[in-house]
Amino acid sequence: MSLQSKTASRTTALGPSVGEVVERFELEKAWLVDPVSGREGPGEIVVTDGVLESVVWLEGEEASGVTDKGVVVAPGFFDLHAHFREPGFEDAETVATGAAAAAHGGYTTVAMMPNTSPALDEPGVLERIRSAARASGSPVEVLAYGAVSADRAGEQLSAMGELADAGVIGYSDDGAPVRTAKLLRSALLYAGMLGLPVVEHAEDLELTASAEANEGYVASILGLAGWPTAGEVNAVSRDLAVLADALRDEPRARLHLTHLSTTASLDLVRRAKAAGLPVTCDVTPHHLALADEWIAGARRWSWEALGPDGTSRDPWADEALTAWPYDTSLRVNPPLRTPVDAAACLAALLDGTASAVVTDHAPHTVVDKEVEFGMASNGISGIETALGVLIALVDSCRLPLARAIAALTTAPAAIVAGWPALAATAAARKRGLTEGAPADLVVFDRADRWTVTEESLRSKGKNSPFIGRELSGRVLLTIAGGRLAYEDPKGGDE
Amino acid sequence: MNVETEPAAVGRTAGSARTQEVAWHHRHLLDVDVVTWPEIELIMRTTDEMKGVLARPIRKVPALNGRRVTTLFYEASTRTRVSFETAARNLSADVVSVATATSSVTKGESLVDTIRTLEALGAEILVMRHSVSGAPYLAAEIFGGHVLNGGDGWHAHPTQALLDLYTMRQHLAGGDLRGRKVAIVGDILHSRVARSNIWSLTAAGADLWLCGPATLLRGMDRWATAWDGGAIPGHGRFHVTSDVDAAVRDADVVMALRIQRERMQGGLLPSLREYAARFGLNAERVSLAKPEAIVMHPGPMNEGIEIAPDVATSGRAVITEQVANGVAVRMALLYLLAGAHEAAGGHEAAHEAVHVREAARAPEAIR
Ligand SMILES: [Zn+2]
Repeated sequence: MSLQSKTASRTTALGPSVGEVVERFELEKAWLVDPVSGREGPGEIVVTDGVLESVVWLEGEEASGVTDKGVVVAPGFFDLHAHFREPGFEDAETVATGAAAAAHGGYTTVAMMPNTSPALDEPGVLERIRSAARASGSPVEVLAYGAVSADRAGEQLSAMGELADAGVIGYSDDGAPVRTAKLLRSALLYAGMLGLPVVEHAEDLELTASAEANEGYVASILGLAGWPTAGEVNAVSRDLAVLADALRDEPRARLHLTHLSTTASLDLVRRAKAAGLPVTCDVTPHHLALADEWIAGARRWSWEALGPDGTSRDPWADEALTAWPYDTSLRVNPPLRTPVDAAACLAALLDGTASAVVTDHAPHTVVDKEVEFGMASNGISGIETALGVLIALVDSCRLPLARAIAALTTAPAAIVAGWPALAATAAARKRGLTEGAPADLVVFDRADRWTVTEESLRSKGKNSPFIGRELSGRVLLTIAGGRLAYEDPKGGDE
Repeated sequence: MNVETEPAAVGRTAGSARTQEVAWHHRHLLDVDVVTWPEIELIMRTTDEMKGVLARPIRKVPALNGRRVTTLFYEASTRTRVSFETAARNLSADVVSVATATSSVTKGESLVDTIRTLEALGAEILVMRHSVSGAPYLAAEIFGGHVLNGGDGWHAHPTQALLDLYTMRQHLAGGDLRGRKVAIVGDILHSRVARSNIWSLTAAGADLWLCGPATLLRGMDRWATAWDGGAIPGHGRFHVTSDVDAAVRDADVVMALRIQRERMQGGLLPSLREYAARFGLNAERVSLAKPEAIVMHPGPMNEGIEIAPDVATSGRAVITEQVANGVAVRMALLYLLAGAHEAAGGHEAAHEAVHVREAARAPEAIR
């Protein structure tokens, strides 16, 4: 197996197919990023029989010409939040297509949300997912959360203990918040007893009933029902208050707030962490890089929509509306916010308030998306574009490359390491370029731009706002647990 | 061209010295936001011609003879539908009327499937009314002909805004709205009429005031202040207030919007009685406006709530004129849209000639 790319160095390996052990793979003169040691620079790697046999850092003459703008080697990515839709919605995604999409995005470990049908609220559903993962032949590791409530109905607890025994990594009613503060309190206590977290989708459903887009300037002009900032802030305050309460009875209670999207809710988490509450949170690529003005037809990065005084620019005044409005691939929950909120997501990522980036990969069928904006299902198919979006941030000099890689690797692993029952498990293992460990890595070409098309996406969900657009950072190779997960078809021997 | 059978050469005759030659090149009319001021004036002139047709003993011209106009109404509105269908028939178009019910809960046949079916059945111009904001944009993406928005959700009602503008120009000296004060009072938040009027009236240079209770104005202040200083080319600022007297005082035009009973169940209003007392257009309030001010309402009216019966029937009220002008404006738009199709030589050419926002729709942006 050898990789060809515009900037790449010579590479050689044997040519296995997906799922097979990588017997031999060598990469010379690439830019290595090891977020565990914190080191990055020119180097070479050798994989033998699925093991990362050697990692050599180059210096002096040998390193000349190797920059962080070309081929990059990083540990395999870890997504704490994805929707693979199986069982129940296999026309939108299956575990097999989800895993293939993940590998194409550079991911080697993915945690699935339990809003399947039936919901993952008892061990039998987890067994179905696991057998689908085995049958897929993909080496991408598929982890799963169990539901907090039976059938995600928000009334009584799911089979939490049995689910823990079966191996879920936490509990979530994602797609919706845990319905009541009372049930959340029970869930935090019971999950805490089991050493597992509750992962919350923070939303005050009364404030957001029938909402279509972020409440603000864009929604006002487009006549879309507003999803107010208070809808998230209110839910986060509830969750933090309940966590503080639960901790008095169960010190192992843990709360993880996923896909936070507003300046104010991130501030609440920042203060709660400073006060010592065991709370963590994450942000998504789309809330970092896109803003609500995309729904009106703007197609610029969120940071390009910020004025010099740090306020949001006006896409109408800027004549920045270049695409057709009301594109349903932009309907997502929480909604795309203002450029100021996007900047707050980045600030939270940089200061560690939200250390991890998750994709909230939410594939949908054409039937669910080719409808009126207000009737479209929420979600973005994003696991294959997450790297490209972060590279755009890196290219804009707002996010160091090593921090972007850490947000996709060591940061999610560190969050999992904070969940008592998982501290010593593989999911919490440090994701570095460690000699002698099974090879778990991604090789991508930061300079190589690729066009996102329906055909290029391995996911069944073509609901990506990037369709037809170019992203930097083509993934050339993904190796998961020593086995081949993805190889760029452009590579390979002549 | 036969003057007896065609409206006068619209957009093809040289205008007066002050009006520049302008051709209609929009394939669809989805909102007035992308329509330039010269194009609005073209619509106004074309409406004048249509008024001429309507003044004849036989109110019919063969301009759209053999052309197929389909009205697709997902929301019941007899008056708007009849207005469009009358307009189309006055132009000798074949009219197909489709009424259907939909909601976000009960999904029947999808909009996309319905439009493909109507196109296969020969629809050329689709007049669409829908309860979801933005729905006509989806229709325009997939429909091979022309889409004329008959009102979508809270978003836009361009033919209403244009008939309002036409009616105002008829009554204001010189037909010029520059500096004229227009007050729109009512449920601004949920109003597609208000949103389309913001675009057209600010473009006309009017001193626009939007007024209603704070719960029904939510978010509009951001829009008004974003345009402070006329940041958007061709558009000036407007005012947002809950002070109805300030809005109406010295106004040249006062427009009331319909208040729906659902707003009380939604917790947005204490009662219709309180609304009528604080925001209803009664004789005393209207007397604050200029003596020659006109009173408008897009209908249907709740007399005694947003407008007092004596105001609605007073000499100032031009509400029935709005209805009559509605037919003429819709005739003008059907005529212009159908002509855009012909002049540009079919769908493909028309597609290339559309406004920047339409032209910007690269194939990859079509989802
Ligand atoms: Zn969620």
